[in-house]
Amino acid sequence: MKKIVFLTLSLLLAVSFWNCEKDDICAEGTPVTPRLIIEFYDAANPTVLKNVTNLGIIEPTFTEGIPFNGVSKIEVPLRTNSTTTTLNFIENGGDTTDTSDDNPDAITFNYATSNVYISRACGYKTIFQLDPTNPIVLSPDAANWIQNIVVSQPNIENENEVHVKIYF
Amino acid sequence: MKYMLRFIFSIALLCFSIIGNAQKKDTTKVVYPDRYGLRVGVDLHRLTKSFYDDNYKGLEVVADYRLTRRYYIAGEIGNEEKTVDDDRLNFTTKGTYFKVGFDYNSFENWLDMENMIYVGMRYGVSSFSQTRNSYKIYDPTNYYGETIITSGEKFSGLNASWIEVIGGVKAELFNNLYLGFSLRLNYLVSNKRPENFDNLYIPGFNRTYDGKFGAGLNYTISYFIPIYKKNKEVKK
Repeated sequence: MKKIVFLTLSLLLAVSFWNCEKDDICAEGTPVTPRLIIEFYDAANPTVLKNVTNLGIIEPTFTEGIPFNGVSKIEVPLRTNSTTTTLNFIENGGDTTDTSDDNPDAITFNYATSNVYISRACGYKTIFQLDPTNPIVLSPDAANWIQNIVVSQPNIENENEVHVKIYF
Repeated sequence: MKYMLRFIFSIALLCFSIIGNAQKKDTTKVVYPDRYGLRVGVDLHRLTKSFYDDNYKGLEVVADYRLTRRYYIAGEIGNEEKTVDDDRLNFTTKGTYFKVGFDYNSFENWLDMENMIYVGMRYGVSSFSQTRNSYKIYDPTNYYGETIITSGEKFSGLNASWIEVIGGVKAELFNNLYLGFSLRLNYLVSNKRPENFDNLYIPGFNRTYDGKFGAGLNYTISYFIPIYKKNKEVKK
């Protein structure tokens, strides 16, 4: 019986140290708030992916944008505290130096949000459901470089699938 | 030096005479009866924490009843209210818990001493509510800044149960007044979680981790109410 007592006490001590292990850091690779995945296709040949060159994406009131170059698939963050996000997709706007050839197309995304619990360390994530009637609005201007926008997955729950296809 | 030697010698002599005395006592077979009764106390750790920690209010009453020479029926009843302010979440847990089980005293007491070095087990149940005060949305891009949602949503009617393995000591300070300390390893048996949230703290169980294990402690002061006496069994 004495041995059992000793064993229990040492086990308790060991576990008390082992329990100090940190679980307060949100582990890399945890599915958190997804970004909108957009794939670009050739408007002339709609089944063929087309790379963007020097595409700049910026919230119209912000000073800093997100540049993309030489890719056909991009990831775009949506507002988690609102149900609409407007972004300028600027052709040749990936560079901040030369603004003379910039051609911005404003796109508005309409969606519903829901906040889903992840864990103590990560908190919550927001998932989005694109509005069924009016999901994406391309503001018409004198020279739209974007020809067409198609929603392929209205439920934005992870970054594994393409949500929106843009033809240009 | 001479005095020192004399001093050491006399101390040694004194020691021997005491040992001799003790042996003499043994042969006269003085019997110290074991006292049986109810011991009631309070957890000082939870009590003091209520004063110095603004985010915590709690009280635990402990009791044990001596059943046989070594076994005690033991239990705790308590109430806790704790607000946890984590990096990404802020919530308040409020509830009551009850634990029942046994303690086994492994300590061989001398003479009429009644101390304990014990191991024990408990089954604990807790009924509580969680109030989610605020939370943050984890968006790694952080392009639009951080979204903090202050919801204040309350999840009631939650419960959990668990098993505890205990190791601890109890020592008699004065007549019938005991000071005790115990460490507890907890293992969750059942856990009714709130919808779209989690029980990150359970009254009585304490903080929960990714797995089912948890840990706790208490630091008790208790008073022993003697009910009857029984002579120690004589080993032959």
